[in-house]
Amino acid sequence: MVKTSFPKGVHPPEEKDRTSNIPITDLPLPEKILIPLSQHLGKPAKATKGRGDTVTVGERIGEADGFISAHVHSPVSGKIKKLVQLPLPGGRMGEYMEIEVDKEATEAFSFPEKEFDLENATQETVAQALKEAGIVGMGGATFPANVKFTPPKGKTLDSLIINGAECEPYLTCDHRMMLEHAAEIMAAIRILHKAYAFEQILVGIEENKSDAAQALKEEADKYQDLPIQVITTKVKYPQGAEKMLIQALTGRIVPMGKLPLEVGAVVSNVQTVYAMYEAFYREKPLIERVLTVTGDGIAEPKNIRAPLGTPIAKLYEFCGGMKSEPRKMIAGGPMMGIALPTIDYSVMKGSSGYLLFDRPSVPEEGPCIMCGRCVQACPMNLVPLRIAALAKAEQYADAKEYDATSCVECGACAYGCPAKIRLVAWIRYAKNFINIRGL
Amino acid sequence: MTEKKEGYILTSSPHLFSSSTTPKIMYTVLATLLPVAIVSILLFGMKVLLLYAVSIATAVATEAAVKAARRQSIHSIYDGSAVITGLLLVMVVPPDLSPVFVALGAFVAIFIGKEVFGGLGANVFNPALVGRAFLSASYPVQMTSYSQPQALFPIAGGVDAAGGATPLAAARFEGVVTPLKSLLLGQIGGSIGETCALLIIIGGLVLIALKIVDWQLVLAYLGTVFLLTGLFYLIDPGTYPSPLFHLLSGGLMLGAFYMATDMATSPYTPWGNVVFGVGAGLIVVVIRLFGGFPEGVMYSILLMNAVTPLINRYTRPKTFGSPSGKGAVS
Repeated sequence: MVKTSFPKGVHPPEEKDRTSNIPITDLPLPEKILIPLSQHLGKPAKATKGRGDTVTVGERIGEADGFISAHVHSPVSGKIKKLVQLPLPGGRMGEYMEIEVDKEATEAFSFPEKEFDLENATQETVAQALKEAGIVGMGGATFPANVKFTPPKGKTLDSLIINGAECEPYLTCDHRMMLEHAAEIMAAIRILHKAYAFEQILVGIEENKSDAAQALKEEADKYQDLPIQVITTKVKYPQGAEKMLIQALTGRIVPMGKLPLEVGAVVSNVQTVYAMYEAFYREKPLIERVLTVTGDGIAEPKNIRAPLGTPIAKLYEFCGGMKSEPRKMIAGGPMMGIALPTIDYSVMKGSSGYLLFDRPSVPEEGPCIMCGRCVQACPMNLVPLRIAALAKAEQYADAKEYDATSCVECGACAYGCPAKIRLVAWIRYAKNFINIRGL
Repeated sequence: MTEKKEGYILTSSPHLFSSSTTPKIMYTVLATLLPVAIVSILLFGMKVLLLYAVSIATAVATEAAVKAARRQSIHSIYDGSAVITGLLLVMVVPPDLSPVFVALGAFVAIFIGKEVFGGLGANVFNPALVGRAFLSASYPVQMTSYSQPQALFPIAGGVDAAGGATPLAAARFEGVVTPLKSLLLGQIGGSIGETCALLIIIGGLVLIALKIVDWQLVLAYLGTVFLLTGLFYLIDPGTYPSPLFHLLSGGLMLGAFYMATDMATSPYTPWGNVVFGVGAGLIVVVIRLFGGFPEGVMYSILLMNAVTPLINRYTRPKTFGSPSGKGAVS
């Protein structure tokens, strides 16, 4: 297998050993769930059920509002207790539906496997199935999958990129998915290929997960008609960033401010592809996901399959509880995740993990010594130290000149900074002003 | 499920930080300079130790005083940068310089060279070289009176005091070329820390391996001096000393590894470092071969320091996916 990579980047400690060998376990059904109607990029879904209504597993409870939006389905059977406004990770408020779980009915429900009509798979039927199932990018960006798989007129998707890089430290849920569900992932890829007739299908996996690469390769070998290649990449952050992975695997450069489809590519995370399998073969909407609960603040780190809307306190309970009193809690990976102020949050479509840290590192910020390490780290080829300085000086137009809006907020710059300057925070700050002022 | 009273720490991503810190970088640089400093004491005697002590103390005290006067935290004196400035200043002055002048130089280096601009990272010129430039301009006689070192390595064939005070002056004004072995081991007259090229090279290579020093700059700087002086040597070996002589004599090695590469005052882009190195190399060769002074390392670095912001601007990496033509280099 070829070893490939994007240039630049950083090498944070991997910290995946705690959970990489632990098989996925199902969370016991919680008594109630609190499911947000905004779990995706774009407009929140509109509630189609209200207080007092009973719902069954897989029933639609929220409807996509506009093109860039996604349906939300109930992961459980039960009764809707109320609709409430609560904060989403990051601070914005969002509508949540509280559902009292009917344990018996939920456990009795199943999505029978059916033979998918492979011969009649078209771009339209595939996109429709993705939309019906409410599938969004589960790597964290939560972009509606049906939109991604509906190329505008005149554009074709010739390359399908399957993202199994999982470059965020600590997280291992995608690793386990590839190991335990290689067959399903490959079956979904086959349907996508049938509909889109890709010229190439490239699966990118970081070298530290060679067992997962091997598992997918063995499955891929069963389909001689697929133009598929499983490629192991260097272990380097952010190998799994969409534009970086496309560059590493195909050599193509996505133009500034454009989507991957500009270069004929569509990128899907392995868990998203698994969700597609469930949608294609079982007509099961996206109602649960696998995530990693880890860090030095949790007793038994695990890879957990949990219904969407599960209160994260339930996850911690399932992991043997918190060790002592953790000081930092992160939704997502440590490089791009969001620090949470309380445990009152729910599992969402984009939740790749929850990290608990006893002794989080919060180093003091010093003056920039102009060492240029951020310049050497930035995968987008930006000059983070300059953009941050311009942001501090409130020179947002100049920050735009330095292409601040191209920043993908991967955190490679701030990770390597010896002065511990919060470069990403400052660049984000500049980006907000650039957007608001229309610079 | 208990929550700690202080609550959870809320900070923006990333939540991981590398172990590299500014003080760590500074103290690593100091560690690699230590052998150079020790050998310089052995070569020139205990008077040099006094100079180091005076210079470092003055540099640190000046920084503390300025910070206090500006009502800022004086914590920065522990980051090691003022200590480096004090140490480097002594390394680039003659061994017989009076401690009073050294203290004056260290004061100017930190006050004018660093703090006036806002302190670490904000300064335009290398502080130690600002101090040296001040001393050279103010006390030209004392700054060019070089004594010979003690014979330290018997194998090297004793101190090579042939001709003038320093090998560069001897070559320039008397046409006497010092053997390379003496240059490498430091058995020559010269500034305190510049003479033992071998230790400087070793220390510099360690810093390159640790990614503290940009190899592009060092290679461009030394390469330019080597190629240009080599060209003149090939044209007229009688008049012009060999390129190796030029590399190993004077302050070039110390300048290339430890002063030109000063993070704050050198470019932060890879190509910028190349431009800086080539520019500084050109200036050194022009001054050494055609200028009024035998040595030009100090001016080469200070002049390139002045254009570093400009170099940064014109060597900005081309943003990922930007249309070709926008931005400078990839």
